[in-house]
Amino acid sequence: MNAFSAGSGGPLSLPAISRRALLRGSLAGAGLLALSACRSAADPSPGADAVSGGAASPRRGGVLTVGVGVDFTPALLFAQSANSLLQRLVFNTLTRYDAQLQPQPELAKSWEVAADGLSVTLKLREDVTFHSGRRFTADDVVFAVKNLQNPVRSAQLRSTALTVADFRKNGDFELTLVLAHPVSNLFDLFEFMIIPDSQSVEDAVAGTRLVGTGPFTFTDRKPGSSLSFARNEKYWNPGRPYLDGVEIKVIPQAETLLSSVRTGQTQLTYAVRGKDVATLKDDERFRITQYDTGAGAFYIGANLSFPEVQDKRVRQAIAWAIDRDRLVQQALGGYATVSSVPWPKSSPAYREQDATRYHHDPEKAKALLREAGVTSLSLPLAHSSDAGSTAVAQILQYDLKQVGIEVQLQPVDSPTMQKQLISQSMPALWTLSHSFSQAHPATLAVSAYPFNEAKNTSKFSSPAYTAAVQKAWNRSDADSPEAKALYQQVTDLLLDEQFIIDLAIAGLVEVAGAQVRGVTLNKYSYLNLDDAYLAG
Amino acid sequence: MRTFLFKRLPSGLAVLLAASFTVFLMLRLIPGDPATTLAGPDASPATVAAIRERLGLDAPLLSQYLHWLGQVLTGDLGPSYAIGGQVSELIGDGLAATFQLTLAALLLVVLLAVPTALYAVSARRRALAGALRALTTGALAVPPFVTGVLLVLAFAVGLGLLPAGGHASLFDAPDLAVQYLALPALCLALPSAAILARYLQDGLERALGEDYVRTATALGVPRRRILWRHALPNALPSAVTVLGLQIGQLIAGAVVVERIFAWPGLGQLIEQGVSRRDYPVVQDLLLLVVAGYVAVQLLTDLLYSWLDPRVRWE
Amino acid sequence: MTTISLPPAARSRSGNRSRNRYVAGLRTWRGVTGLVLVGTVALAGLLAPWLTGADPDAQGPQALAAPSGAHPLGTDDIGRDLLSRVLHGILTDLSIILTAVPAGALTGAALALLAGTSRAADLVVQRLFDLVLSFPGLILGLAVTAILGPGRWPVVIIIALAEVPYFGRQLRAGVLVQREREYALAARVGGAGRARVLLRHVLPNAVDPLVVQGAVALSAGVFIEGALSFLGLGVRPPEPTLGSLISGSVAYLDTHPVLAAPLAVTTALVLGFTLLAEALNRGART
Repeated sequence: MNAFSAGSGGPLSLPAISRRALLRGSLAGAGLLALSACRSAADPSPGADAVSGGAASPRRGGVLTVGVGVDFTPALLFAQSANSLLQRLVFNTLTRYDAQLQPQPELAKSWEVAADGLSVTLKLREDVTFHSGRRFTADDVVFAVKNLQNPVRSAQLRSTALTVADFRKNGDFELTLVLAHPVSNLFDLFEFMIIPDSQSVEDAVAGTRLVGTGPFTFTDRKPGSSLSFARNEKYWNPGRPYLDGVEIKVIPQAETLLSSVRTGQTQLTYAVRGKDVATLKDDERFRITQYDTGAGAFYIGANLSFPEVQDKRVRQAIAWAIDRDRLVQQALGGYATVSSVPWPKSSPAYREQDATRYHHDPEKAKALLREAGVTSLSLPLAHSSDAGSTAVAQILQYDLKQVGIEVQLQPVDSPTMQKQLISQSMPALWTLSHSFSQAHPATLAVSAYPFNEAKNTSKFSSPAYTAAVQKAWNRSDADSPEAKALYQQVTDLLLDEQFIIDLAIAGLVEVAGAQVRGVTLNKYSYLNLDDAYLAG
Repeated sequence: MRTFLFKRLPSGLAVLLAASFTVFLMLRLIPGDPATTLAGPDASPATVAAIRERLGLDAPLLSQYLHWLGQVLTGDLGPSYAIGGQVSELIGDGLAATFQLTLAALLLVVLLAVPTALYAVSARRRALAGALRALTTGALAVPPFVTGVLLVLAFAVGLGLLPAGGHASLFDAPDLAVQYLALPALCLALPSAAILARYLQDGLERALGEDYVRTATALGVPRRRILWRHALPNALPSAVTVLGLQIGQLIAGAVVVERIFAWPGLGQLIEQGVSRRDYPVVQDLLLLVVAGYVAVQLLTDLLYSWLDPRVRWE
Repeated sequence: MTTISLPPAARSRSGNRSRNRYVAGLRTWRGVTGLVLVGTVALAGLLAPWLTGADPDAQGPQALAAPSGAHPLGTDDIGRDLLSRVLHGILTDLSIILTAVPAGALTGAALALLAGTSRAADLVVQRLFDLVLSFPGLILGLAVTAILGPGRWPVVIIIALAEVPYFGRQLRAGVLVQREREYALAARVGGAGRARVLLRHVLPNAVDPLVVQGAVALSAGVFIEGALSFLGLGVRPPEPTLGSLISGSVAYLDTHPVLAAPLAVTTALVLGFTLLAEALNRGART
């Protein structure tokens, strides 16, 4: 009945189950659950119960229930958004990164980048069909790239897609992409770009029909409630997926999502808040995995069109004033890493001494403010009005007050926040989280708007930053010492200028029932369930 | 009756027209816009411009308003901006879910309130009546969003009897649907049931204090018979009015309750619509809510005059 | 929440006598309990600076700490003294509802009087009430805060706006009844103007039930504030309100029972107002 009670270590013994049945029976007698004799909606998902436990070998069957806090936005199918889990369920990408950020084959069997970095030749798998039955060929890759070049698709890696100037086909399964200039983040594009069926792409962005080549076929969507997927019986990866299906449930209220996880009705989620995860971490019924990647690098942004923050010493003072450790502990439940740089530990640009450059030092902050000739400072700070962001903002407000900076909080809902971000109409300070530092460092400055060298929310521009960013991007090698030296230039500029004051890197936190195995996320938070199964 | 409708219908339509204008303008006054929401957080101005054009948001406001009115009048509501799918389907699904929830809640309201009130009035011991009254007062003093969270903690996490939240269709899986319905319906029903119970109890007590009841009692008519045959029919019309007003409150309460229990009804839809600036969904939905309210008002007035012949058609 | 339009009380012609009845109503156990509850909570709020030395906004390293000498109720999730926040939260809530409810009552009354002047005005005002009522409470809240942004004034406006039709409808009903009474007819026959009859004779007698509605509205105000905070549309942080304290603590209720304090205070306050409303209503009827 209860998957977690199977085996000797479970918290519920058999008598408990019969007591539960008894209680349910009495409720049914009261007329509340007249029909509940046959099935219970309170039990964990089907497939979780059968089968004996202990075996390490993957087991076929079962439906995995995934809980999310935000519904999927069909129009953002080709962008990284608050809910990008389904991208890798229904679709495939050309390549995928391993833990060392080395591309591994997926729909592309092999590839060769020309010596001058101006073209890449892909050899494609020949045994792949779309869910519609149509065969996957080089034309579909051409379509996928052109699709990302279309501004309506809102793809963050559009700038990289736009460097593809020409396509040369050599048969149906070999394709050369000709680039306008070398780019160091080409494989970020291949990790990011899902390959959709060209014939149904408009249905896909309307959310009615999703056709890809991935391990699961899309069967149903109830907007605001759920997404259902069934096993793709003709998946090119032999014997996969193990699961019969996947059900993504939308549970917007954090407390309810947590309850749903605790009762086993949700078996996998990335949406439990850090401080709620802390309440589950000692419970052996759950496995908690921290990802280095994800959408959450928390930062304070400064809008340089306001004279109060034009002096970089003021911005540096803000960076010294924040108690990042307390922020991570209290607002994020400890599930984040304090950091002064946007890079997570797995990034080629990460260096320990950069990440710890700024730490909590109110005296230093005050000294910098004095040096800048600031006696009293009062600044507005915009933040999202959800509970988590409000807690972060209040901590920032308090810490800044301790060094003499009065902050007025401006809670706004997320569409307003987004509009202010894109239209450069933020107040002097704002706090948000950014993404796109998780893969190759060059991607950040060409894909994440706050860091864009040409146009950003801070209205920051400097020839040195532009030059460093462009040099790091316009080259074909991503890991060479020269490339790393260029990343270091970018990092040094960011640390010095502090138009974006990084606070903490919070990767996604996976909370899974102990029986859920083999789940992975790609660098852009697409859920990969090729190898996932439900253990007994 | 026909004259009654003739008198009320035009002003009802006027309310609808005023509402359509208010709703349309209100949405445009809200900061943020659908195009930037759809463009994602890292979009370039080119992306935003392309999306604005595709959605027709670059047209003058008046022509957007008239276009929308045209859509409403022809019944073709078009696609939603952000949520995905056709507006009419979204509203249809949401309406079905909220209808199930509200109906279940309404049923619970009546089932909880009427016996409570009758029992409180007929109870021999005053202490019991007082206790029941205190209970209904107490039910009003706890905010519904707290009741909701507590119900989840007790019945889902603690006892493991009912699901923590979610939804199943009454038509596809009635056995599961009833279980999903139980907690949100109870949470939604409690405050309204308390109000109705108090109101009904007041009405019954007042009716029992009338002269003819005293006369009947003096003549030896059993108290139970007086209660059912005389007091209840007298107290019922105003109770029905209260119930009618409570329907509006139930729908309003649904915003919070649906959120807590992840129930995909109109409350969730409207919150999603507002929080994503999905203009078509919010516009059509609010207009529908207003229309529903106008209709309910009309119906309760009709029902009231049917139950109480003393009220003539105006 | 706001629909407790209690049964119209029997009206007397002398305002003085009815005032005595209200006092009598307050002397019943309901009235006394209500007064004690509201009085205690309000007093605790007013005496906040003397009852606790802690700054409600001061944060510390200890989050969700258990009660101790320094923090009698422990701390919240970002290390602030919970007792101080509850006490100051009471003050915020009281100031909000005591601004919003009178504002709503006055607006509602003004509209009801306007309705009393002509048939056309009556029709327009009635439909106006319909319009506001048909945007039920929280949907109204979503719209207003979306336009104005969250803050104290939007909360006041939302509560006031939600109460306008209830006060207005009740006064209008009272005016309609009183207008047909002998004394009003007599005054009109005696040559008094329409407006004069309305203001001098009808209004003083029709205003009674509004007292009860006022108590009901105050409790509704506390709820609306709470629900707005729950949806992230409440008063601007870090200012504490009862609603924001409840929604901030609700996630930890099962692990930190002491966090139920804001809930208990809110319940006491609402219960007090509700009992007062009942007491006044019963007093008016006897």
